[in-house]
Amino acid sequence: MPHFLRKAFPYLAIALGLASLAWAVSFNSVPPADLSFNNGDEVKTIDPAKATGQPEHRILTALFEGLLQNVPDPAGKDPNGNTPIIQAPGVADRYELSADHRTYTFHIRPGAKWSDGSPLTAADFVWSWRRLLHPETASEYAYQLNYVVGAQQYNSSELKPGDRVEVELDDRPYKDIDDRTFPQGTLRRGILIRTVKPPEPQIPKETPDKKKRELMAVWREKWAHVVEIKPRSQNNEGETILWEQKGDQFAYSQNPSPQETSCPLEIGRCKHVLVDFDSTVAIKATGDETLVVTLTNPTPYFKELVAFYPLYPVNRRCVEEFGSPGWTKPGRIVSNGAFVLQTRRIRDRIRLHKNPKYWDAEHVKLNVVDAYPVKSETTCLNMYLSGQLDWGYPVPSVVIPDLKGRPDYVSAPMFTTYFYRCNVTRPPMDNVLVRRALNLAINKREIVESVTRAGQLPATSFVPPGMPGYTQPKGSIDYERDVAEARRLLGEAGYPDGKGFPKIQVLFNTQEAHRTIAEVIQSNWKNNLGIDVELRNLEWGVFLSSLTKKDYQVARSAWVADYSDPNTFLDMFVTDGPNNQTGWSNADYDKLIHDAAAEADETRRMAMLQKAEEILLAEQPILPIYSYVSNNMVKPYVKGFTANVRDDHPLHLMWIDEEEKKRFLRGEVRQP
Amino acid sequence: MKFLLRRAAWMLLTLWVVFTITFFLMRAVPGGPFSRERQLPEAARRNFEARYNLDKPGWWQYFNDLSHYARLDFGPSMSLEDYSVNEVIAEGFPVSVSLGVISLVLALTVGMTAGVISATRRNSIYDFAFMALATLGIAVPNFVLASICVMLFVFWFQLFPVAGWGSLDKLIQPALCLAAPFAAYIARLTRAGMLEVLNLDYVRTAYSKGLSTRTVIIRHALRGAILPVVSYLGPATAGILTGSLVLERMFVVPGMGTHFIESATQRDYPLAMGMVLVYTFLLLLMNAVVDFSYAVIDPRVKAE
Repeated sequence: MPHFLRKAFPYLAIALGLASLAWAVSFNSVPPADLSFNNGDEVKTIDPAKATGQPEHRILTALFEGLLQNVPDPAGKDPNGNTPIIQAPGVADRYELSADHRTYTFHIRPGAKWSDGSPLTAADFVWSWRRLLHPETASEYAYQLNYVVGAQQYNSSELKPGDRVEVELDDRPYKDIDDRTFPQGTLRRGILIRTVKPPEPQIPKETPDKKKRELMAVWREKWAHVVEIKPRSQNNEGETILWEQKGDQFAYSQNPSPQETSCPLEIGRCKHVLVDFDSTVAIKATGDETLVVTLTNPTPYFKELVAFYPLYPVNRRCVEEFGSPGWTKPGRIVSNGAFVLQTRRIRDRIRLHKNPKYWDAEHVKLNVVDAYPVKSETTCLNMYLSGQLDWGYPVPSVVIPDLKGRPDYVSAPMFTTYFYRCNVTRPPMDNVLVRRALNLAINKREIVESVTRAGQLPATSFVPPGMPGYTQPKGSIDYERDVAEARRLLGEAGYPDGKGFPKIQVLFNTQEAHRTIAEVIQSNWKNNLGIDVELRNLEWGVFLSSLTKKDYQVARSAWVADYSDPNTFLDMFVTDGPNNQTGWSNADYDKLIHDAAAEADETRRMAMLQKAEEILLAEQPILPIYSYVSNNMVKPYVKGFTANVRDDHPLHLMWIDEEEKKRFLRGEVRQP
Repeated sequence: MKFLLRRAAWMLLTLWVVFTITFFLMRAVPGGPFSRERQLPEAARRNFEARYNLDKPGWWQYFNDLSHYARLDFGPSMSLEDYSVNEVIAEGFPVSVSLGVISLVLALTVGMTAGVISATRRNSIYDFAFMALATLGIAVPNFVLASICVMLFVFWFQLFPVAGWGSLDKLIQPALCLAAPFAAYIARLTRAGMLEVLNLDYVRTAYSKGLSTRTVIIRHALRGAILPVVSYLGPATAGILTGSLVLERMFVVPGMGTHFIESATQRDYPLAMGMVLVYTFLLLLMNAVVDFSYAVIDPRVKAE
């Protein structure tokens, strides 16, 4: 070791330390925002077709706008004391509904623009919805369009001979990037003649589900579709397919395997064979400003879905140029809402700037908005109290009783239900008497009064109270009488005083509040019914996997309304529904839900749904516990903030009263 | 040179072993990146899996991933869908480093000063006070410390903002809390090292040459006493640089610590793997640096 190095080492170390220190404390300062709020968590994606969840919802609603927009009713509270969400004009300034309640004609407002200044047309919606439905987009919310004629068929790539189909050839312009569904390869369109399948693989019974699905999927990819490709005619309007003329037959497969398939034609490689979007899916642009959508059934809440983020338009040029997720980066993303994305740093903040190209820009008063992803409720409250946030949410439940009287604590009932699922495929939960006994023995009032404490309502039904037009099945809580009834039911089920009742397990995902509630229920069941209950907390991923595999007896759940209609709660429990997870199935229930969807008469539809809920509550595959209330802390100088049933707070309706803010900061408006 | 090459070879081997273990362990845990409360339609699930190559056989994924990681391409994140793992690390790592550097400098300055004072004034009131503080610093968990910090500096004295990132005043509280246990540990190590060295002959010789106490301690004794601190610094730096979940949560610091935990809970395989490998790499690197500086500080140690 050279001597000078040894000599210099301490100095070098100190110099290095100082240099890195200097680097570490150098920051580019950014000007403060007009409004800072907590978004609760990191946003996973800002692609409307891929997002799910509340934090994403808030950002997407600021960045994009649908044909209509969901806003709190300016008229205020309804007779139930709830502030409903109504649909105000968005990109469409008006729409018409046909006499059979199935066809919506949306009129795009003239002059609607993207943030890059290009015009926004009906074709943008057709393309965006097509992208949402495309199986390769793998959107979790694609089912929001299932009400549209042909949409589900396109999304699930189901085909039958005689269908009009589109074949996407394997010639996409960008091969280097895996996730570039768009721009698509060449589309050839025609009629599906038949599907030639290789012999179905013989899968042994004991094969795990995942492996089974994999084998079936591999097999499906080898199917060869024989399609009669129809001739096209070009004119200045674009391309027309001459469906009536005869064409030549070709065979296509995602994974051509001529040895296994006895197909006389040469099998060409394709990306997809799907039903022909343009002629099958009833989403049509008739001109630049008119979008016509036809639904399978009259769906009164469709207008609310149109205002929900999965159906927001995305900019075709932007998505096709940068691919997904490349197009979502600040600087690239083109959107059409009241705000544009300025910066986005993971776990730091999302900064939004006002979009000067927005059609209603003159009424958008906030210029810069910061959304923080603060997950710790305590930190969020501290940031709010010390003035770093103007709008804080959620509030830690322990301090709610102290905050409740304050004018800046804004709370309202929400369309969200906290409930327990029962796995009805396993004893003892397969016995309806047991499930009813368990439900009645829960002291729901105690849970909302001493655990959650924010004014939640004990649930007597699954659909939360106050759904417009809907009357819940009758139910009341008289705890003493209910407990007596619960004991009787348990006895009738063959377990008098809980004798012989096996130990059951309640699963919940790791969270303090869930544990406390589960503990109350555990002691209720023990004291009232003599039943031993084991509590088991699982980390979210494991919890979900137990739920999917039905590897549970009782499990905690919650459901947030996707739209303001009882159907969002009730259609969960149809046989094998993707949200059912309980194994419960009832033919009468399925029929009521199915028929209600087709019913045009609102009163009759609601009566059917009510009947369905009566069945659900009598059979009790779920134990409803309480319905939620929202908790927001909002500074008095933030205006345009309305508590409502969906806890939706569109940023473009809010503004800062600068005068009041000054007085507030000087301490003249006392922090209560 | 040979030393460096051998070190690098070992490092690669260790990284490969860690990669292999992590790869199989992750996939053995129940649940997957696409577990949702609502069951996905089969077609959507299939396309999801295809996007991340999860539809391929296990061995195929293993070698495919290995070849990508070897080229430092960690692939797309599954939970932060708009980002690649490289982008996530590129955003989070500098934050953790700048916080780490400050904490480290703080921990070293405070810890060593306290250690030296305690050792030279053994059994004095300073010694007791510092060592009591050090014990407390090790024992008190960082979220308690952080809460105390917030109460003191935000609500009582109104010196700093509660949380956030992007300016110096937001950085001080998390840096303090992150540094505290390390400072405490360093103080104890320095004190122990110092006490051992102060009784050695060469220190006595230095004193007898008539050098001042200050010169003896800083120029002679400290060099010997610092060795345990240096070897502790390796793992400590790796730990400090990769951030802390609790502090990042409480102070809303956009560092790497959160990703460590969340990638695991959300079954974000590529991100979790990226985090594990970055941590392993840092740990190995820091240990190598420590070994190297050992050789510089202590003439008895040779780099081999």
